[in-house]
Amino acid sequence: MERVVTAKDLAALADDMLRAGRTVAGPVRRKERYFYEAVSRGADLAFDFNYCVYSPRSFFFPPGETLLTYSIGTNELNVAPEAPRTSPVIMGVHPCDCNAIGLLDAVFGSGVPDDHYLARRKDSVVVAVDCHGPCDPTAFCRDMGGNEAQEGFDVMLTPLNGGKGQAAERYLAAAATERGRELLAYNKVGKEPARADRDAAEKFREAKAANFSRRLPYAVEKLPAILDRSYNSLLWQVTAKRCYSCGSCNLVCPTCYCFTVKDVPDLSCASGKRVREWDGCQLQDFATVAGGHNFRPESSSRLRHRIFRKGKWIKEQQGRMGCVGCGRCDRACTAKISVVEIYTQLAEEA
Amino acid sequence: MASAAPVSAKPKIAVFSLTSCEGCSLAILELEDVLLDILGKFEIVNFREAMTERSWDIDIGFVDGAVSTPSDVEEVKMFREKCRVLVAMGACACTGGINTLKNYQNEEDYRKYVYGDKWKVFPTIPAQPCSAFVKVDYELPGCPMNKFEFAELAKCVLMGKPFRLPSEPVCVECKKKGNLCLYEKGLVCLGPVTRAGCGAICPTYGAKCEGCRGLVDKPNLQAAADNLTNLYGMKIEDVLAEFRLFGAYQKERIP
Amino acid sequence: MPEVRAMAEKLNVGGQGSPFAPEEAEILGVADLTALEKLFKLRLTGGRSLGHAPGQFVEVSVPGFGEAPISICSSPTQREIFELCVRKAGTVTAALHGLKAGDRIGVRGPMGRGFDVEEMAGNDMLFVAGGLGLAPLRSLINYVFDRRERFGKVWILYGAKTPQELLFTNEFDAWRKQPGTELMLTVDRPDENWRGTAGVITVLFRKLPKVDPKRTYVAVVGPPVMYKFVLLETLSLKIPRNRIFCSLERHMRCGVGRCGHCQINNVYVCKEGPVFRFSQMESLPESFA
Repeated sequence: MERVVTAKDLAALADDMLRAGRTVAGPVRRKERYFYEAVSRGADLAFDFNYCVYSPRSFFFPPGETLLTYSIGTNELNVAPEAPRTSPVIMGVHPCDCNAIGLLDAVFGSGVPDDHYLARRKDSVVVAVDCHGPCDPTAFCRDMGGNEAQEGFDVMLTPLNGGKGQAAERYLAAAATERGRELLAYNKVGKEPARADRDAAEKFREAKAANFSRRLPYAVEKLPAILDRSYNSLLWQVTAKRCYSCGSCNLVCPTCYCFTVKDVPDLSCASGKRVREWDGCQLQDFATVAGGHNFRPESSSRLRHRIFRKGKWIKEQQGRMGCVGCGRCDRACTAKISVVEIYTQLAEEA
Repeated sequence: MASAAPVSAKPKIAVFSLTSCEGCSLAILELEDVLLDILGKFEIVNFREAMTERSWDIDIGFVDGAVSTPSDVEEVKMFREKCRVLVAMGACACTGGINTLKNYQNEEDYRKYVYGDKWKVFPTIPAQPCSAFVKVDYELPGCPMNKFEFAELAKCVLMGKPFRLPSEPVCVECKKKGNLCLYEKGLVCLGPVTRAGCGAICPTYGAKCEGCRGLVDKPNLQAAADNLTNLYGMKIEDVLAEFRLFGAYQKERIP
Repeated sequence: MPEVRAMAEKLNVGGQGSPFAPEEAEILGVADLTALEKLFKLRLTGGRSLGHAPGQFVEVSVPGFGEAPISICSSPTQREIFELCVRKAGTVTAALHGLKAGDRIGVRGPMGRGFDVEEMAGNDMLFVAGGLGLAPLRSLINYVFDRRERFGKVWILYGAKTPQELLFTNEFDAWRKQPGTELMLTVDRPDENWRGTAGVITVLFRKLPKVDPKRTYVAVVGPPVMYKFVLLETLSLKIPRNRIFCSLERHMRCGVGRCGHCQINNVYVCKEGPVFRFSQMESLPESFA
């Protein structure tokens, strides 16, 4: 199903969803940057934005969540798993973040499925909006294939005007899933696309292909082999000299899904909750076991671990790149360690 | 489910102050309704800010303030003797805090500045954390200490569970809150090497982290020196000044 | 992407299927093994048999304190109960040490991949344990003895730092009495009463009779530092690398291959391990960390 919608139509659709009791979230401008936030009116959503500082991952995999509650009775183990109830409608997600959602779906949906993630994801709706070109010089989505949304969205909005500094006002909305069709059928948002609209969408895609350039000097398919040859590279140690092991790169990454679990007793100490929180493989104690042995004590080995996960191992495990090229890690690194630079330098050495 | 038995009798606690603003002691008094549950499980036996009676039969002693005078040295040793568990509370007690700024000035000058012509009557020593003189069992760093962390420690004591400070830096809490990194706003912040546990309260309100909770366990201070000078154009003296504000008396030194 | 929703529908997500929800287990008994280790005898109160393979582990919950991965040290031939040998090493294990018979804890599992007992059957067994490593190996050792006719000769090489730190000493006589079985002990720091071998675990290989590399399986569990040295010894016995099994210690936090803490190179120890063949470990450089 395809419809032509204006930014106003989208705001009205968001308002409809809000009236229907749904949580609606999307890019909201806060001074000079955009952030994904839950909104109380559709007009607060921005569809023409450069990038959001954080990805929408926290709507499905929040920085902290209760897994279960417990109470300590006599000779009885009382635990009750917690069920999340919010399944949000997220409007305005760029292709890189859609692909990241696709990866999280694969991770949390495979093996022993993760109820907590799936409960949020189950009735969620993701409205993607395509990009004119790179949102920021740090982005390397073209190299990673992140700039073309493969999965993780229900509706794709293709801008029909705007670009080159002009805000888009009209979009071709194409449903990619049953849920997307339901959304577009809701109150019959927008109107039937005319031939000119489809032509405009085609033109957008042609312009888009030209606007994204590569930053890596090689095709990403070669990356796993390059990494294989670089396991013992000195680059890890050289780069780690600047690294604080602060974990910022992990915490802003739309595909990072590592977590820790801990118990938080309430004030009575007799009951409490078990919570899951974001964790990061760059943090000093990530691979430390009880008793104190740290299996990855040097920051160079942690740095290598992250780069291998993003460039090779996740692909092997999940069939999808672990990195979508959004550039958030590069922006978040106050030591200015850049993944693209590491990938490039390794290829030069290898 | 009977877990590690909670302490049966009410643990007796005491609160002491050395050289400080006593703000951390006051923070305990600020533990409002929600935290009264916790305090109700303890018996406060010695707390100058809150009571006149004193007892020296103490299970857990909380000390705020730096050791900054000869009498502080005697007092902190006495507290250690009287308390089965000694907790340093706040930046002054844990790292020396802003008291340590005097350590980098001429002694006569600052004594005259503070005490005027009576300066000779008030002896002083370089400001140091409690742990420089006695064994400290737990530290609750920060300026002021985080009262929720105080409550965590209290729960741990009641449950017989070891209390551990977070090992990660402030950046972790800042990112979990979804803040825009202050470096992106052109500020230089000590978050990447400062111990978390404050909920990144300063960056959340737009103020740079000044490291009041001390450094993480294995801070990469060489990186701090290199990055702040090479990438952010700071002079090494200014970098040192940033770290000295609260963290001067720490084992780690800027290279 | 539609698959994730189809899966969610099928599971009827809403809390009951949380992979983090533990089953209740009752502590039937607690015995002191050493100053640091206690043996817990447990039963799932729901009546289910744990049904583990030797080498698998469970996530043990003490509410308020958290969860910790503990390897199962009893043989699966004991169906009604299972045993955990717990060293007081962290928050959860310290809390466990404070519990007594009748107390309830939470258990998730069994988890991970254990020893392939079907493949091992019919062969000679060489067990090499260092310190607490005897706990997971005991599950396999007692399994082999409970199915004695299915296995050939058995050698158990066990080393600890001091005589006081040796585990399961009350079972040594029963092991020695098993036909075709040899138990060899060593301690790093002997005391005046110690009459056995002194030195690190590898010294026991000097005393090992000739093993037939074509019909011997090796199971090694010990502290990280031990593996490299023991593996060199087993290789010099010319035992094929795919018949040498090691159980690796890591922090298996979630137990379902997701949280990342137990990862070594591209594998999750909680899923692919904790038992690995040496032939696998060769492509996992971090397994020797």
